[in-house]
Amino acid sequence: MAEVRKRRGRIQIRLDADERAALLMIVEQLAPSLGQVRRTVPVAYDDPELQAEYDRWVRPDIEQSRQADLDVMRDCIGSGEDVTVLTEEQALAWARGLNLLRITAGGLMGVEEDGWEQHADAAVRNSPDFRVLLALGLIQEELVSVLEG
Amino acid sequence: MAPATARPPAPAETPIESPAGSERPVRDPGWDVLVWNDPITLMSYVVLVFRRLFGYDFETATRLMLQVHHEGKAVVATQPREQAEVTVSRLHGFGLQATMGRE
Repeated sequence: MAEVRKRRGRIQIRLDADERAALLMIVEQLAPSLGQVRRTVPVAYDDPELQAEYDRWVRPDIEQSRQADLDVMRDCIGSGEDVTVLTEEQALAWARGLNLLRITAGGLMGVEEDGWEQHADAAVRNSPDFRVLLALGLIQEELVSVLEG
Repeated sequence: MAPATARPPAPAETPIESPAGSERPVRDPGWDVLVWNDPITLMSYVVLVFRRLFGYDFETATRLMLQVHHEGKAVVATQPREQAEVTVSRLHGFGLQATMGRE
């Protein structure tokens, strides 16, 4: 099972071949939906004119940085190694990328309320999308733990 | 927000200046930076972001995260407009739901 830990001050992420293949598939399936799910759209202002300026001048940088985060994940997954050492910045990129993927997956599932994990019925719990959300969350939780440790 | 496990404090990197938590900045306040609840983002991740961006200690970051979770939103900083916009853009970069408005 995927594992993140810090050894001798170095952050390591362990993913076997099946996990890397699954994660890469998740990234590639969800990446085209970035920016289409409401919560992934960066909205800063109520005022339409100010928001238009934000969209023009700031949003491209945000979208570029998000793609860069996913590229960090792709590079790591594509390394072919079970264990990859991450720098602090790479680990943060993973945490951001996983969050973005989870928000996208949750949006596509129609998650709108807190407690969705507890309230999901059996059919939802057994769905691939639900499992993807949980699996990405477990990796992200481990990354956060290591980054805070 | 999705539940998370409490973590011990750790030093922050490149914190944004003039954050507002229990204390508001006194220099040219004007725009509130608000973070809004969303049901997907992990609580522990929100705490990490607040600590990294604002340099908050673990308790302050956790208090703000819980305010977002329970009340739907929290003011995490009050800053001049340009600075607030940078803060919001960095929060957006971390995937949080953040907006800004006049105090």
